Amino acid sequence: MPPEHALVVNNIKKRFGDLTVLNGISLTAHKGDVISLLGSSGSGKSTLLRCINLLETPDEGEVYVTGERIEMIHDRHGKTVPKSQKQVDHIRTRLGMVFQGFNLWSHRTILENIIEAPVHVLGIPKAEAKEYAMELLNKVGIANKADSYPDHLSGGQQQRVAIARALAMKPAVMLFDEPTSALDPELVGEVLRVMRQLADEGMTMLVVTHEMGFAREVSSQVIFLHQGQIEEQGSPEQVFNNPRSERCQQFLATQLK
Amino acid sequence: MLDLQGYGWLLLQGLQMTVLVGLCAMFVAILFGLLGAWGKFSHSKLANWAADTYTTVVRGVPELILLLLVYYGVPKLIQDGAAALGYELRLDLNPFVAGFMTIGFIYGAFCTEVLRGAFLSVPRGQMEAARAIGMSKTLAFRRVQLPLAMRMALPGLGNVWMVLIKATALISLIQLDELMRNAKLAATATREPFTFYFIASLLFLAITLVSMLVLKRAEAWSKRGVRV
Repeated sequence: MPPEHALVVNNIKKRFGDLTVLNGISLTAHKGDVISLLGSSGSGKSTLLRCINLLETPDEGEVYVTGERIEMIHDRHGKTVPKSQKQVDHIRTRLGMVFQGFNLWSHRTILENIIEAPVHVLGIPKAEAKEYAMELLNKVGIANKADSYPDHLSGGQQQRVAIARALAMKPAVMLFDEPTSALDPELVGEVLRVMRQLADEGMTMLVVTHEMGFAREVSSQVIFLHQGQIEEQGSPEQVFNNPRSERCQQFLATQLK
Repeated sequence: MLDLQGYGWLLLQGLQMTVLVGLCAMFVAILFGLLGAWGKFSHSKLANWAADTYTTVVRGVPELILLLLVYYGVPKLIQDGAAALGYELRLDLNPFVAGFMTIGFIYGAFCTEVLRGAFLSVPRGQMEAARAIGMSKTLAFRRVQLPLAMRMALPGLGNVWMVLIKATALISLIQLDELMRNAKLAATATREPFTFYFIASLLFLAITLVSMLVLKRAEAWSKRGVRV
């Protein structure tokens, strides 16, 4: 696999009990690609994201991150499990994840949140990690809150910190799981601005979102999921202006009105 | 009015011993509590069963019986067992160690429930964020889950401590020179039971008051960053 493929997902399947959530999803993100994942709730888009960094274990399929394949085996009950948790932990350091609910560690200050993993997972010296953390906080515009605790920040500020926390690991790919869905409408813009800036800087991004404006203007590729399958896929112009699938047309009609 | 007749130092020594044995017991109780909580969360049926039995039995049997059972019963049991196998064995437990281990074991059952609740109250996303960024299970436990659970558990553990410190008075029955036993010694020697039991009760109250103060501080510290 050529190294410019930041992320390759091959035929991922996932069931919860009898319910098939993902039914054979494949996608490729080249370096610098911004892929928006659209779909109504229950279409499997969040599960797909969580299968990529193994927060959920896919039943079938392959994931390659910067060319490295996540090795899976079957346990004695026939369930698919990672062959090596160590490899999974290592690969996760290259996948920055931003959650809908921010999930900043509430017992640590903003600065501590950002340096936590670089120091304790990557083993970067504290002083160096702090310096880079301040650089990131400046970038997302909250350097003045470095010593505050997450609870004292607005949702938009917390999400920007969460983005900085993920960036502090210098990830190859950023995964965004509905990053603005939990925010008050007036706070959505500040988070999208940071994400746009990242996209402009060439970050490879996979974004589950309901922000159609963002998907249309920033994405290099848009994927519409329906019932665990890719229903429509293409450039933003194709998907938004000439969707072939009827379901995608209906979905866009409800989103854009 | 309260003439100590030279027995004041004995009470102070007893106080010192009570605090010491109480702290050791609390430490043991938290360890048993963590173990018990782990057992209750474990996927192993055996561990679930062991933890459930532990909390049920210990909470259902009076402390005094367990204490006497450990101090007198266990050595006798081992001696008889050894004798049956043809060994001559003389086993005496140290009352300090037997005392704090037993009290710790008993209050560990209460800590188990406190800690179980505390771990349950840590939001899922906190651990998910830790794992997603590449922390191993143990690192995420140590850096995220444990500190968050501990601060949730602090009021409950403080409560266990308040009850535990009073329960240490039972250890006087296995001849440990703690506050209760020394008060009794002084009361018997001077034939002034009111004086010495009254002072002993004031000293226990003093421990409780200081503990409350420390706990309040600790809770305020642990709640840093939490907006009420």
